[in-house]
Amino acid sequence: MAGVGFRRWAQTLTKGRGVGISALLSGARAASGASKGSLPGPYPTTPAERAAAAKKYNLRVEDYEPYPDNGQGFGDYPKLPDRSQHERDPWYQWDHPDLRRNWGEPMHWNFDMYIRNRVDTSPTPVSWNSMCKQLFGFIGFMLFMFYIGEVFPAYQPVVSPAQERSDELFM
Amino acid sequence: MADYKEAPLATRPRTLDPNDYFNLSQEKRRADEERAALRANLKRQYLTQLNNPSRTELIEDPALTRWVYARANPFPHFRPTFKTSLLGIVFGVVPLVTLYYIFKTDRDRKEAQIKAGTRDRKFNLAY
Repeated sequence: MAGVGFRRWAQTLTKGRGVGISALLSGARAASGASKGSLPGPYPTTPAERAAAAKKYNLRVEDYEPYPDNGQGFGDYPKLPDRSQHERDPWYQWDHPDLRRNWGEPMHWNFDMYIRNRVDTSPTPVSWNSMCKQLFGFIGFMLFMFYIGEVFPAYQPVVSPAQERSDELFM
Repeated sequence: MADYKEAPLATRPRTLDPNDYFNLSQEKRRADEERAALRANLKRQYLTQLNNPSRTELIEDPALTRWVYARANPFPHFRPTFKTSLLGIVFGVVPLVTLYYIFKTDRDRKEAQIKAGTRDRKFNLAY
């Protein structure tokens, strides 16, 4: 009985029948719920481990590429392409339409970053060079014009010397 | 559009992607079919559970469980290497130490000024 968890105790005792108690004593448990080998594990070293990991994550063996083993804590989690959910087909019948994801599909490590409210990696309508030129051109132009405005000020209020003297008293 | 350069980290539009036009082969077709078979299997499992009239509980997604578990348990696979130690130092130790020194010297300077009587302390919370 040492290997039996408290939860199974509670479940079998509440059943109240003989079958429950004998199941408890033999250590048998239901086949539902997550099985032992379905959770992420350490980095796969042999080809057999790689095949098992690919099967676990529902990927083809050729598609399965774990993160490099650099000690950063990834284990055998697959390295999926860094694509946001914005790029997925909006017209396909996804199981979870707002996440654009099917049930059982392997999730990207940074899935919560790539949801449709957040980072978007979809192609930009304008090319990168054009965007850079437009943005920095505008900012540069405005900075330059403000600088000119500092050097050559215009539309300063014209005040007579008498009014300037009377203004000073209330400073 | 011939000189379209995509943003760093963004993707190229599919119509400008040369792989779609030149890299089509039997192997690619077979690979796509295998992926579709995996997808169809998962879809079948999900729809069986979804449309089961006697189902009362939520449909558990093992991929989600695996993702949550992997994100919450990186430590068993952590190894101190040059890169991880450098990251730890840069993000953990350096801000702490620099901020301590900055605040300490600033506060000491202000305290010295107050003691010498050179600091302008005219701020009043209530008159």
